[in-house]
Amino acid sequence: MSLLIEASGLGKAYPKAHRSADRLRALGRLLRGREDTDSQCVLRDVDLTIRRGESVAIVGENGAGKSTLLKLITGVLTPTAGQVRVFGKVGALLELGAGFHPEYSGRDNVAMAAALHGLDADALARRLPEIIAFADIGDYIDEPVKHYSSGMVVRLGFAIIASLKPDLLITDEVLAVGDESFQKKCVRWMETYLADGGTLLLVSHSMYHAQKLCRHALWLSHGEVMQFGDVFEVTQAYLAWHERKQAKAAERPETKSGLEFEVDEFQINGVGGNLAEVVSFGETLRLRAAVRSREGRPPVIMFGIVRADGTPVYGVSSEMDAIEIRCDAEGRFVAEVEFENLSLLPGSYNLRAHAMDSEGVRLFDSEERGLSVRGASREFGMVRLAHRWLPSGGDRD
Amino acid sequence: MSRMTLASHFIRRELRERYRGSFTGFGWALLQPLLQLAIYAFVFVQIFKARVPGAGAPGYVAFLVVAMWPWVAFSDAVVRSTTALQDNAALIGKVALPREILVLAPCSASFLLHACGYVAILVVLAIAGQDVHIARLPLALLMYLPMFAYTFGVALIFASLQVFVRDLVQMLGQLLTLMMFAAPIFYDRANLPERFRGYLDLNPFSFYVESLRSILLDYGDFPWRMFGVAMLTALLTLGFGHWLFRRLDPHFEDFL
Repeated sequence: MSLLIEASGLGKAYPKAHRSADRLRALGRLLRGREDTDSQCVLRDVDLTIRRGESVAIVGENGAGKSTLLKLITGVLTPTAGQVRVFGKVGALLELGAGFHPEYSGRDNVAMAAALHGLDADALARRLPEIIAFADIGDYIDEPVKHYSSGMVVRLGFAIIASLKPDLLITDEVLAVGDESFQKKCVRWMETYLADGGTLLLVSHSMYHAQKLCRHALWLSHGEVMQFGDVFEVTQAYLAWHERKQAKAAERPETKSGLEFEVDEFQINGVGGNLAEVVSFGETLRLRAAVRSREGRPPVIMFGIVRADGTPVYGVSSEMDAIEIRCDAEGRFVAEVEFENLSLLPGSYNLRAHAMDSEGVRLFDSEERGLSVRGASREFGMVRLAHRWLPSGGDRD
Repeated sequence: MSRMTLASHFIRRELRERYRGSFTGFGWALLQPLLQLAIYAFVFVQIFKARVPGAGAPGYVAFLVVAMWPWVAFSDAVVRSTTALQDNAALIGKVALPREILVLAPCSASFLLHACGYVAILVVLAIAGQDVHIARLPLALLMYLPMFAYTFGVALIFASLQVFVRDLVQMLGQLLTLMMFAAPIFYDRANLPERFRGYLDLNPFSFYVESLRSILLDYGDFPWRMFGVAMLTALLTLGFGHWLFRRLDPHFEDFL
C-alpha cells in the first residue's frame, strides 16, 4: 500500500484583520516575507499519514479544525506551519455547491467542474450521461442552479465527484443534506469505491456513517489531534467526551427522587456511571439495573436496545419472562440480563433501563447509555439472525 | 493542457457573463465605445474645434478611434481584473485552482471583445472613405501582444493588492483618467508645449498610441526609439505582476 497523504507538523493560523489598517500592515509583512504574528490558530501540529485504500473519518466538535484540515489537504488553503503532500488525484466535496455558479444551468456547471478537475471536452462528453444518471434530478439539469434545492445541489456535486473516480475522496458533511434514498446511493457508491481500493476522508457528525464507512478515525479538538486509531475506539472516546461535557454543563440534577420507582444504577458489563461502553461483536453483553422503590413494592424492570438513530431493536422486561426480582443489600431491586454471543451488528446503539410499576403498566423512570459494537461485518441490518444455508440444488423433502 | 482548457472555460464564461440578459448581447461591445466616441467626437470637434496638427493630417475622428479603442481595452481589462479575486472569493475558498486564471479571464475577454470592435470600426471608417490603411491591420494587432502582456501584468498587481487594500478599486477610476489624459489619445505630442513633450514617454501607453497611429494612419514616424523600452516595460510589468501574485497567492484565502 503506497502513501497517499503525508502531513507533518501541519498548522494553520488565520490573520486577525478586522480593520483596514491591519490588512495594510499584513500586506507589508507578507511582501517583506515575514510571517504574520497577530493571528488566530485553528490547527496545530497535525501529523497524519494515510495510505492508499484506507478510510478515515474525521470527528470533532464544531470549530475543531476539521474543514480546515480538509482544505489544507485539497490545497485550497496554504499551511502556516509544516507541510502536507498528496500523491494522487483528489476529488473533494468540501461544501454545499462548492464551485457552482448559481446563474448557470446544471449542465454548464458540470462542464466547469469537469474543467476544474482537469477533464477535457472529450472526457466530459463520455462521462456526462453517467453523471446525469447518477444525480437523477430530471429536467432540472438544464435549469439554473439557483433554482435547485440543497439536496439537488449535493446530488449534482456528488455525481461529478463519483464520475471522476479520484484516488482520494474527501467529503465534508454534505451527505446529510441528501434524502434517504440518495444517502443510501452515496453510501453504496462509497462502499464499492472503497472495495475497489479507493481512499476516503470523511468529515461527519454521524457516528453511524463514520463507523459504517471508515476503518480509522481522527478526533480533532481545538485544532489538535486528540486521538487517531480504530474507528470504534475513537468515536466511542469522542462520544464519551461529549457526554462528560454535557454532564458537566447540566450538573445532573440528582433530585429526581420522589418517584415511586427510579433507576438508581445502570451497569453495562459491570461498569457503572453514564459513559458509553464498547463490546465486540459476538461477545457477551451483561446489563444490570438497580431500581429504588419508595413503598417497597417490587418493580418491573425493562431493558431496551435502540439504534443510535432511535430505531428500536429489541426490548424485554422482567414481567414478560416472569422473572422474580430480588433485593440487594441496600434494599434496591436488581435485575440482570445477559446476552450471550451478542448478535448486534457493529455500530452505535443506545441501551435503556426502564423502571415500571409492579404491574408493568406505567413507566416511571428511564436511564440511557451508549454502546458501540466493534467488529467487521459485511452483513446488513442491525442484528445477525440465526441462519443456515441449504445445500445447493435445494432438495426439499 | 488542462490549464488551457480551464482558461478557455473561464474566458468563455466571462464573455457570456458580460452580456447576459442584455438585449443586444455582444453588440454592446461595439456600441459602448461607439457612444463614448460620439460624445468625445462631438465635444472635441464641434465645441473645441480640435484639429489634428500637421499637413495632410487625418480627420479627428479617425485620429481618436485609432488610439481610443486600445485604451478602452486596457482600462476595461484593468477595471474588471482588479476585483476578479474578490468576486470569485467563493470559488477560491472551496476549489483548488490556479488563480491566475481568474485574472486572466476578464483580461482576455476585454481584449478579445475590444480587438474585434477595433477591427470592425476601422473597416467601417475605411469604407466611409477615411484614410485608414486596412492592409496593415495585422501589424496593428501585433502591437496588441505587448500591450496585453503589459495589461495582464498590471491586472495581476492590482488584483492581488485589491485583496488586501479594498480602497484600490475606489482610486482606480481616478488613476485611469489621469493615465488616459497623460497619453496622447485626445491630442498629439505636437499639441503639447515643448517642455512637457518628453514626459509623455513616462506613460507606457503613449508608445502604443503613437505606434498605432503611425501604422494605421501613416501619421508620424513609428516610435522606434521607444520600442525597446516599451517591450522591456511590458515584460518587466508582467514579470513583477507574476512575482507579486505568486508571493501573495497563499494568503488570498485568509483575507477574502
